[in-house]
Amino acid sequence: MIKVENIYKSFTKKRVLDGISLELCPGQTLVIIGSSGVGKSILLKTIIGLIKPDSGTITIDGTDITKCTSTDLQQTQKKMGYVFQEAALFDSLDIFENVAFGLRTLANFDETQIKNRVEKCLAMVGLTNVEHLKPANLSGGMKKRVAIARAISYKPSYILYDEPTTGLDPIMSDAISSLIMSLKKHLNVSSIVVTHDMNSAYKIADKIIMIYDGKIIFSGTSEEIKRTDNEYVKQFVRGLSSGPIQQTDRTFEMG
Amino acid sequence: MKKTLDIFQFYRTKQYVFIYGTIESLGKTVNMVLETFTYIFKLDINFKNTIGQMVEVGWKSTPIVILTSFCTGMVLALQVGTATSNLFNEPVYVGMVIGFSMVIELGPVLTAIVVTGRVGAAITAELGTMKVTEQLDALYTLGTNPVKYLAVSRFLACFFMLPILTVISNIVGIYGGLVLSTNTWEVSSCSYLSQSLDFMTVRTFIHGFIKSFFFALIIVVVACYKGFNTKNGAEGVGKSVTGSVMTSMVLILTADYFLTYLLVALKVK
Repeated sequence: MIKVENIYKSFTKKRVLDGISLELCPGQTLVIIGSSGVGKSILLKTIIGLIKPDSGTITIDGTDITKCTSTDLQQTQKKMGYVFQEAALFDSLDIFENVAFGLRTLANFDETQIKNRVEKCLAMVGLTNVEHLKPANLSGGMKKRVAIARAISYKPSYILYDEPTTGLDPIMSDAISSLIMSLKKHLNVSSIVVTHDMNSAYKIADKIIMIYDGKIIFSGTSEEIKRTDNEYVKQFVRGLSSGPIQQTDRTFEMG
Repeated sequence: MKKTLDIFQFYRTKQYVFIYGTIESLGKTVNMVLETFTYIFKLDINFKNTIGQMVEVGWKSTPIVILTSFCTGMVLALQVGTATSNLFNEPVYVGMVIGFSMVIELGPVLTAIVVTGRVGAAITAELGTMKVTEQLDALYTLGTNPVKYLAVSRFLACFFMLPILTVISNIVGIYGGLVLSTNTWEVSSCSYLSQSLDFMTVRTFIHGFIKSFFFALIIVVVACYKGFNTKNGAEGVGKSVTGSVMTSMVLILTADYFLTYLLVALKVK
């Protein structure tokens, strides 16, 4: 279980996360929505330990990663997979080595097991015969799939997705959403998904939270968000340019 | 009260930002170097990556080092031959001047400058691109420290390959001088080589060799630091590469003076 309590994070003079608290229960898919620049990706990176919060606690299966040693943090990271917004595949390695990377560093597999596991993970995300290719030879959708294969390769309990459907066509977006649901069903993983894509959010979410101005302003199911009276949430889910959320509210500078 | 206000105003000044930024950069650099040495002393080294980097730094830089050193040797021979011909009516001391110049000065410095342009720039561009495309973050999430995975192999490759390239540069530079001297000044090869080697001692070679280790350290530390601290996308990568090459060159030439001064004082000459 992931428990985030009262997380605060500021960059220069701008407070990005202002007392965020949330819980991810086993087997649950939690979707985080919000305008660009409100700190969704910062929250995700804080949860996996890439960014240290100014204050607050993040407990993953009983370990507070804000206070633990680097060894404990590494042990906790073994339980988590992270799918980056732009896939973040290693350019210098081929697809096989990209997917095998986590197996070599986070798990004790021999070469035969690694080969089998890489093939299985790539098949799970619908890719075959791409092992020898370099990331530059793949399309955006294929890169996202490889990134997901890399994240699930060492069998983590939690997967964090940072805008998995951004930049993809609607059909590929739906395919990625279906893949996220399929992984939840077959691997029984808990997921946190940051997205702007409401179609994807409605499809995959057990629970949706919306962040605005560093705070959680909504928490509920897909049905509840459709019926909410909150003007900020209504404007965002309907994709309206006019409303309480103004363009000027959305900019901040990272230090 | 006025003094307190002055202090607050100082925090907002460009001087404060510059001083703070410099101290922060130095701190980060020292931290990175210590981390790298810790992994090396613990022998926590990815040998496959290190061999790959040695090929990149050493083998692939060899042609350009040979070309530049050969030309430098020939230019030196031409200049020294012309100058001594004007003074003494015949080209004298050509071998000695070229031998000394290459081994104690031009070999190490020229090789370091060439490697800065070819290898230092490539390291910064690669690490900088990895930084702005979140590949360094991806390494962390996959349980790998970027310093261990990327910096250690590059550090070892530069540290061992630059001195070897320097030796190649010395030999090729002296040979370039020999080719020109025998053809243009009609100096015999025996006379040229005996002039080159007779006045040199083991210490002369050590002098150049020690410099090349320090230059390797400068190139790889600056390149890795600039790469790991790249910001702002493609534009940032370009700025980091420029900064890396310029900083390395300035530091190499500055360090060359102080190292020469120190080595001469220690009678390593």
